[in-house]
Amino acid sequence: MARSSTPQGSLRQRNVGSKKGESTVSSPEPDISKLAKATQKKTKVDNERDYKIALAIITALAFVTRFWGISHPNEVVFDEVHFGKFASYYLERTYFFDVHPPFGKLLFAFMGWLVGYDGHFHFENIGDSYIDNKVPYVAFRALPAILGALTVSVTYLIMWESGYSLPACIVAASLVLLDNAHIGQTRLILLDATLVLAMACSLLFYIKFYKLRHQPFSKKWWKWLILTGFALSCDISVKYVGLFAFVTIGSAVLIDLWDLLDVNRAKGALSIPEFGKHFAARAFGLIIMPFIFYLFWFQVHFTILNRSGPGDDFMTPEFQETLSDNVMLANSLDIQYYDTLTIRHKETKAYLHSHEDHYPLRYDDGRVSSQGQQVTGYPYNDTNNHWQILPADGNQETGRNILNHDLVRLRHLATDKILLSHDVASPYYPTNQEFTAVSAEDALGKRANDTLFEIRIEHGKKKHNFKTVASHFKLIHNPSKVAMWTHTKPLPDWGYKQQEINGNKQVAASSNVWVAEDIPSLAEGDPRRNKPERKVKSMAFLRKWFELQKAMFYHNSRLTSSHPYSSHPYQWPFLLRGVSFWTQADTRQQIYFLGNPFGWWLASSLLAVYAGIVMADQVSLRRGIDALDHRTRSRLYNSTGFFFLAWATHYFPFYLMGRQLFLHHYLPAHVASCLVTGALIEFIFNPDTADEESIYGPRGGPNKHVSARERFAGRSMKGAWIACLTVISIAIAGWYFFLPLTYGYPGLSVEQVKMRKLLGYDLHFAK
Amino acid sequence: MAAEKAAASGADYGDGLRKRPVPSSQAASARPAQPEDNKKFVRKEKSFVENFEEWEPVFAPILFTILAFATRLWKIGLSNIVTWDEAHFGKFGSYYIKHEYYFDVHPPLGKMLVGLSGVLAGYNGSFEFKSGEKYPEEVNYAFMRAFNALFGILCIPMAYFTARELNLRRPAVWLVTLMVLCENSYTTISRFILLDSMLLFGTVATVLCWAKFHNQRHNSFEPEWFFWLFMTGISIGCVCSVKLVGLFVTALVGLYTIEDLWNKFGDTKMPLHILSTHLFCRVIGLIVIPFLIYMLSFALHFAILDRSGPGDAQMSSLFQANLRGTNVGKNSPLEIVYGSRATIKNMGYGGGLLHSHVQTYPEGSQQQQVTCYHHKDANNDWFFYPNRNEPDYDPESEELRYIGDGSVIRLIHSQTGRNLHSHQIAAPITKSANEVSAYGNLTIGDAKDHWQVEVIRDAASRDYSKLRTLTTAFRLKHPVLGCYLRAGNKNLPQWGFKQIEVTCTKENNPKDAYTHWNVESHWNDKLPPSDPGVYKSPFWHDFVHLNVAMMTSNNALVPDPDKQDDLASQWWQWPILHVGLRMCGWDDNIVKYFLLGNPFVYWGSTAGLGVLGLVVAWYLVRWQRGYKDLRPADVDQIHYAGLYPAAGWFLHYLPFVIMARVTYVHHYYPALYFAILTFGFLADWFLRNRNAGVQGVVYGVLYSVIVGLYILFIPICWGMTGSNKQYSYLKWFDTWRVSDS
Repeated sequence: MARSSTPQGSLRQRNVGSKKGESTVSSPEPDISKLAKATQKKTKVDNERDYKIALAIITALAFVTRFWGISHPNEVVFDEVHFGKFASYYLERTYFFDVHPPFGKLLFAFMGWLVGYDGHFHFENIGDSYIDNKVPYVAFRALPAILGALTVSVTYLIMWESGYSLPACIVAASLVLLDNAHIGQTRLILLDATLVLAMACSLLFYIKFYKLRHQPFSKKWWKWLILTGFALSCDISVKYVGLFAFVTIGSAVLIDLWDLLDVNRAKGALSIPEFGKHFAARAFGLIIMPFIFYLFWFQVHFTILNRSGPGDDFMTPEFQETLSDNVMLANSLDIQYYDTLTIRHKETKAYLHSHEDHYPLRYDDGRVSSQGQQVTGYPYNDTNNHWQILPADGNQETGRNILNHDLVRLRHLATDKILLSHDVASPYYPTNQEFTAVSAEDALGKRANDTLFEIRIEHGKKKHNFKTVASHFKLIHNPSKVAMWTHTKPLPDWGYKQQEINGNKQVAASSNVWVAEDIPSLAEGDPRRNKPERKVKSMAFLRKWFELQKAMFYHNSRLTSSHPYSSHPYQWPFLLRGVSFWTQADTRQQIYFLGNPFGWWLASSLLAVYAGIVMADQVSLRRGIDALDHRTRSRLYNSTGFFFLAWATHYFPFYLMGRQLFLHHYLPAHVASCLVTGALIEFIFNPDTADEESIYGPRGGPNKHVSARERFAGRSMKGAWIACLTVISIAIAGWYFFLPLTYGYPGLSVEQVKMRKLLGYDLHFAK
Repeated sequence: MAAEKAAASGADYGDGLRKRPVPSSQAASARPAQPEDNKKFVRKEKSFVENFEEWEPVFAPILFTILAFATRLWKIGLSNIVTWDEAHFGKFGSYYIKHEYYFDVHPPLGKMLVGLSGVLAGYNGSFEFKSGEKYPEEVNYAFMRAFNALFGILCIPMAYFTARELNLRRPAVWLVTLMVLCENSYTTISRFILLDSMLLFGTVATVLCWAKFHNQRHNSFEPEWFFWLFMTGISIGCVCSVKLVGLFVTALVGLYTIEDLWNKFGDTKMPLHILSTHLFCRVIGLIVIPFLIYMLSFALHFAILDRSGPGDAQMSSLFQANLRGTNVGKNSPLEIVYGSRATIKNMGYGGGLLHSHVQTYPEGSQQQQVTCYHHKDANNDWFFYPNRNEPDYDPESEELRYIGDGSVIRLIHSQTGRNLHSHQIAAPITKSANEVSAYGNLTIGDAKDHWQVEVIRDAASRDYSKLRTLTTAFRLKHPVLGCYLRAGNKNLPQWGFKQIEVTCTKENNPKDAYTHWNVESHWNDKLPPSDPGVYKSPFWHDFVHLNVAMMTSNNALVPDPDKQDDLASQWWQWPILHVGLRMCGWDDNIVKYFLLGNPFVYWGSTAGLGVLGLVVAWYLVRWQRGYKDLRPADVDQIHYAGLYPAAGWFLHYLPFVIMARVTYVHHYYPALYFAILTFGFLADWFLRNRNAGVQGVVYGVLYSVIVGLYILFIPICWGMTGSNKQYSYLKWFDTWRVSDS
């Protein structure tokens, strides 16, 4: 619905000779033809009745298609593993970590809470039985089913609000209604139903808002603005791909603002302060408010998850101290000089280890070593992991705490050697320094400098105590400033396949972090171990959120591993590949996530048709040939263009993403493509619209919204209806044909499976 | 500027340029300001100022060029060790001198020029160019470096003329030229045997030709118009043949051409045949010519490198058979029999040799890896064996059992004795295909070790009943699973040494060249040697093959978390000059070079891009509000002298943002040039209508800051001798690692 300035703007400048150019700039005429107003009022009631009936029918059908056999299969399916598990964690209030924002998962938890489920089942494996484990899975699945059914109605409403004729509305809505992908995805405990509904709602609300543009700052105007913002916020609070909806709405808003800025605007120029008000209102409603909502879900998330759980490891010790029953932190002790430590690498969980053996003189690649004592990483408990921590100044006094940035030496107890690093290449990395251990005599004598290490606690303040468990630290070799580091490639046989330890010149890397795990020299009953009951600390919300956000982005970007059913964006519009969700060999049943190919292909081909029409129009305009009347062109560029923009912004960014992608990432774009399809069906099959003059009166401008009924007053809609019925029957055929794969019932014979492998879909049980 | 057809007649463009009615008084130069219109130029008594005006376009570029020679060549041979990527490009140059076939990810033109410089320097190609090694007496490395520096030097006069073509006033022209001349990173990178000076040269030349061509736009189809059109095409062709980064400047010219044609398309008064001639000329000039040059550089590459060398394995077997000194196809028995030892080559573009090694898959079956590998070693050798249902191969027997279409065979890896095997386990990268591993031995194994030979074609014969070395293309079908052996140019992670993944694909597509294999080398004592390599592979095939191979290995240059590379940097670090790069070791006895730009040029040009955005936004909003600030000529000036350079910057910068490969600071250098042009435009825009005093002060300050900083940082370009501690005054930030600690 965004009034793009491009077609009209460029039209205005072009001297194509037609009068069209001028008529686009609607004259600032506030009075609408009284006649039209009167007719509209009179016919309003029966005008809308057929729309309402159709909406009721479609909504009812949507609920039927989504809920039909929802209890089948009674096993964990595909990603229910994740999202069911997260709901359970919420119900148990144990802290977990996930790359998606919390809103979608909170909804599931809310559903579980409503039906009184306690979250005892953790959805460990695909195929686990819900019946045996007594999980109210139907309630869980009902939530996305409801949202998914509502998506159909919202699609219909978008078309209706945009002023399309009834057949166009029905086509768009039934393509979503009868789409196997939408049905399949919204019958299971997955986040996409929420995501798609929120995205569709943001379009609908924005259109409502935009239609009120001639009553700015009215109550209704504010209502729809805020609701648009809310829908956007829900969208992005489910998954980060919700950002694309911001791009869609944002582009439309920018174009709208640009037109508001126009000094030749139809309704008179806005002063700059007035424009500022418009700008501020949108910035508040569509950016600030959604962001506050977004933060709010995180606040809920943190409030609910107040107990230690599987997500602790992803967070910093400060964060973990805010969780109750965090066993690890309860054991945190201040480290003092002359304590014996076990030091563990945070990433690979290997202990700093040393033993009598020495590095070989020459490595396989011909480089030579120092032949010093080996220092390695070893994952198991061993007395060779014990290191005594000595002060740099040799002060014999005991009982002194070690502080951040202190210089220390580490003495290997079993061999009485002292840790050292020097400018000799490590076994595997010519660029990294070797770590070895030398006798105390050397260590304090001629090599005194090379045995000095700095304790650098992560995010530590200057006088921070060095603690076990709680202090993540880097061990920086003082003279050369390299950080102690290890990696998982095992050393050859001479190193007993243990891990190489070396000095990494890139000190900042997070893989340099180590943790002092325990102080074996402290006896069980040592007074230092008796600590007062630890209180749960609190941490400012924004700091917590920021930390979590960083971790989420970091782990999201690392989701690059391949999945057998992942697909590439170019495959989606053509529906080349689906995802196998669930199979049951003895009944030959399977759920294969796949769209309705006929509906899908129709929608995709009409996207191409749309692009073709616009290009042809631009090219012919450029040559001074004007084939469309202004009303049709405005609709084609503004309304349909908005849908197309929504599709493009929900589709193309995936090409830039490095992470693994699945067909269900296309669902929001698919909804947009259905909208384009509905609009184009009308464009192609509509009769010539009534004269502009008969709608607006002789000088009328488009100051009010013209409904389809008015546009097509007295025209035959036969062509559109026939097209509509054809599309629906094709869609029904496709839906029915793939129904067994979507609902997982009934099982199919080999021939039946083979019949459904239209484009070589990798279905199961084809043999 | 539309009405000035007559003024820009093109015959005397030096003067014609100045005559163009630009909005402000033209003569407002930094020096003695004379608000005098050039049109009133009277050729009688010439004052000093007039003489200066007239001769400036001649002596200024000469002066700048002399300075460029001085800064680029001064002490160029100071460091007598192989510095940084000289190790690569010097070595590649040597291959041309030795005529040995090698493989590299960059197109050949730049490296051929390096080879040429070696020839001119009288170098015989025998030096290995090992990083950090001292140049031997007989290698005149200083000459080779100077040859490269020449390209860097020529950038300076071209920048001068480009700025003039972009209608900048004289002080701004000087500013742009000074910013290019006094750019420490440009200076440093031009002083070694690297491709970057050539790339920079090509980029600058393309922009110059484009600007010249643009200024000929009212003289369509005149000789000069054609000249600059073809020059643009030639420089595009050259720059793309040096490094593929040249495609970005090509995109800029493409963008301009599309806009230009779109405008002409909208001109309904233009006859259709003129329009189509315009289109045709551009297709010829900007697509066909560059492509021909690109192909020509490869044709030369193949013509020069006619001996076998380290890059053989990247090419098809037939290509290799035609290299001198190769083993491929020489003395190989023609027909394969059971018991033959052979290497098996994938026939897809960029395909390698079927390979296996003792390392196992870390996931999946955890059996021994099977990959495709481009280097020749013993791990590429396989034995052809009969399947387990047939009588076993008997080495003693003299009977020859030929293999042909339909034979079911086993392939045994000669080093480990394991069978080529596939099973229903997802392959490590292409999860939809089956994994291929090496499994079992002579006795242990099952029917999943069997492969059925399907002959696709044979260049030598229509008889498919025998498999022939080199000429037979065949597929290997796994009879149990019905899948085909395939190597699809997907690189394995570090655990597979970035070699190419081998899978068994379920798709039966006889046209898929990645499932086609041929026998490359063949050994069998029982058979008479012959010479199957008499068939030549067509140039076009080699050209495409090599290009695909280049793309494939370029894509393999992704950053590897396992490999620590402290030289690499990231895109966001470049425009703000966050890091530099140590080009060599940092010991006291090494002459040290540090790749770092002139801070003012970097920060100023980066800020300029932001300012340009603000300026454009400002005028757009003003226009929307109905203010008429700009005349059409001003709009044109912003459009062509401001927005196009900015677009060039984006085109040269954004790809590196998106690209996942390892990136270094020097990848920013072409983009920097466009940022400099933008900065020059802005200086010109803001100062063109100011009085001489303001101009004098502002330009004076700009010039002196640029030159001052350049001189301050010049040791990092000319080489730092002695302890690096002496230069710690240049370490403004911790990340500029000019000196240790």
